[in-house]
Amino acid sequence: MSLSPTSKLRAAAICLTLTAGLLTALQNARSAAARAFLAQEATAATTGLTPQEKRGKQIYVRGTTEAGREILAYVGDALIEVPGSTLPCASCHGLDGQGKPEGGVVPSNVAWETLTKPYEVTQASGRKRPPYTERALELAITRGLDPAGSKLHPAMPRYQMAREDMADLVAYLKRVGQDRDPGLTEKSITVGTIVPAKGELAGVGQAIRAALTAFFDEVNGRGGIYNRRVELKFIETADTPAATAANLKRSLQDEQVFVLAGAFTAGADREIAALAGELGVPVIGPLTLSPQTGRPLNRHVFYLLSGLEEQARALVNYASQKSQGDKSGVLVVYPESELSAGAVAAVKDQCQKNNCGPVETHGYQRAQFDAQGLAGKLGKTGKQVVLFLGAGDEAVALMREADKLNWSPAVYLTGAGGGGVMEAPPSFNRKIYLAFPTSPADQTADGAREFRALAAKYNLPRTHLATQLSAQGAAKILVEALKRAGKDVSREKLIETLEGLSDFQTGLTPAVTYGPNRRIGALGAYVVTIDLEKKEFVSASGWVNVN
Amino acid sequence: MKVKLILTLALAALVVFGPVPCGGNQSAAGQAQRKTQRRKSVRYECPMHPEVTSRRAGKCPKCGMALRLAKNDGPAQTAGTAERATGTATEGAGAASSLRIPDAVVYNQNGRRLNFYTDLVKGKVVAINFIFTTCTTICPPLTATFRRVQSELGEHMGRDIELISVSVDPVTDTPARLFDFAEKFKAGPGWTFVTGDQSEIDSLLRALGVAVADKNDHTPTVLVGNDATGYWTRAYGLASPATLVKVITEASDHK
Repeated sequence: MSLSPTSKLRAAAICLTLTAGLLTALQNARSAAARAFLAQEATAATTGLTPQEKRGKQIYVRGTTEAGREILAYVGDALIEVPGSTLPCASCHGLDGQGKPEGGVVPSNVAWETLTKPYEVTQASGRKRPPYTERALELAITRGLDPAGSKLHPAMPRYQMAREDMADLVAYLKRVGQDRDPGLTEKSITVGTIVPAKGELAGVGQAIRAALTAFFDEVNGRGGIYNRRVELKFIETADTPAATAANLKRSLQDEQVFVLAGAFTAGADREIAALAGELGVPVIGPLTLSPQTGRPLNRHVFYLLSGLEEQARALVNYASQKSQGDKSGVLVVYPESELSAGAVAAVKDQCQKNNCGPVETHGYQRAQFDAQGLAGKLGKTGKQVVLFLGAGDEAVALMREADKLNWSPAVYLTGAGGGGVMEAPPSFNRKIYLAFPTSPADQTADGAREFRALAAKYNLPRTHLATQLSAQGAAKILVEALKRAGKDVSREKLIETLEGLSDFQTGLTPAVTYGPNRRIGALGAYVVTIDLEKKEFVSASGWVNVN
Repeated sequence: MKVKLILTLALAALVVFGPVPCGGNQSAAGQAQRKTQRRKSVRYECPMHPEVTSRRAGKCPKCGMALRLAKNDGPAQTAGTAERATGTATEGAGAASSLRIPDAVVYNQNGRRLNFYTDLVKGKVVAINFIFTTCTTICPPLTATFRRVQSELGEHMGRDIELISVSVDPVTDTPARLFDFAEKFKAGPGWTFVTGDQSEIDSLLRALGVAVADKNDHTPTVLVGNDATGYWTRAYGLASPATLVKVITEASDHK
């Protein structure tokens, strides 16, 4: 079916406004009031490890103890001391205990049944050893001796740890290779998500809930993934980021969640990313404006869309391209906040890369926003390119005052700052540019059709469409990665598979690419300008890449 | 009576079974042939662990290097690189002939662009090892060993002696990753981690004689050299730091 150009534009305008609405909501998440999340009852872990084995697994995989006691490793003939976390067992012996040969070193298979074979075993190096016992295993780990008393290969470190921790480790070693990641059984896979439940964001929460339930019900109806049903678990946000993280931690430990998808993490991004890294849970496509991409890169969180910082960079790229050679520089105006600090640094960095001239920054206090005074001060700088990182209404007020002073620079806004921008004075016609991390153009015919069919079948809410598209985009990435990883999947394998995604089309969002050093799928933005006469969004550029 | 019967049977067995050949040619010509074969039989040894020998080609169980024909049986050959052992005073080490080190464009852990030979090797005594940051089995011990070597070399570090770690996975190992890796092992000044374009690093690894198809098969070798005198040698990266310091000091003292 073909729409007339006007209808298409209107549809685009609606979509963009909704996206702007979502982005504004995300930016206000911290201030959203939410009642405390009521703790869910812990379900008994039917399959899985005992608490002791879980503690042992942490030692095996990470080289750290739950109680925080120190583990030291002494490696090589010279017994060089390093922390246990530098040389955890799993890095050489593998998560499955089979051993990962490398550079001529062949770490042995440490599965319990292999270690305790009831006959003498001859290793590749010629060393013969009788079967291991628990005590012999402890000696191997602490003194580097096999049950026959021969020295193990110098690459095997000797570990020093408390008695209780050794007991925990040995307990886990009896299960290594047999245990599966939590949330994964023969017949099911548990996918968690975080939803705001109360206050002004409740609608967003409902939208996520509905979109994901519909999507996975459909997947289950078609037989699931490798015959596994997808079970959804909803975790609600709480009043503070710390409380939200605590809810999440409890749910991850009790509810046996394998992976998180389409979770609303805005407002608690840092805490949730840290928790995901700590517990080793992959998080796919969280809804947020501030992807945590600082170094060292958190390997567990895979963002779908660009956040505030990346959108700002895209704007700088676009502005530099437009004003070829004009080095008069950029004026960055921002509300004093943590979110802005990162964006300002990103703008400075990107400007340097683009050689766009001097960057002047001007921060203001949100509570004491004085449009007139600000316009006066900024007008004197004479800059023609302004990057404004505040809210939409603040931007419009500023533009009105600037108009009175006959100063109409090009104004660049990120998607979240576009609310009410149609009210700007006419002198700014086609001088306002907005960055959007996604656009209606990203929906392929198939993707749009599928989405509409789901919306009709499951009666999805007609509001918060941008949220629903984003959540389903994340779900699609998860399903694709699970399919590629195969039936014998684990969290680590899922992460490796996700890292291999290149230009993957969700049909609802821009194409997504990840890599060992890349955790934002669609890195860049679309730039749109505003026709204030016709009150329309007009595309100013195609996809602007940020690398 | 019984004894006589047994003796007769035994004699009969000898008569029946005696002349039957039991595995080799009984003829004189055959015997001579066997002797020649034994004279021509080959021995293989590990270039780094001369005590490891074998009758067949293969890999050394201690360090994974390809075994080469032992010296007395013919021209020494290592699989993959044509080098002649020149012998050193240090046990367990093998020597590499004067290497031609290319001036490959590389980036250090701070993102600074360097020319490998001119900036890092020329006129210096260097120890070079090969790692990649996502390597979990052997690179941590290799790097920990280098760290101990660095602290034992003390003031010489950065002045006349440099340590270099070359990434064998340059695509994944960005300078940022190298920086984080170096920090994890508390690498001090005078120790450079390098990465670069895949093609540049590949040509560098080939010239150094350590290129392999799969990064997981990368060698635990440490190349030690004194560029001023053209003296180069190899050592086992997982040897004790004291051994490595000895090799480096010898290279430094080489005239």
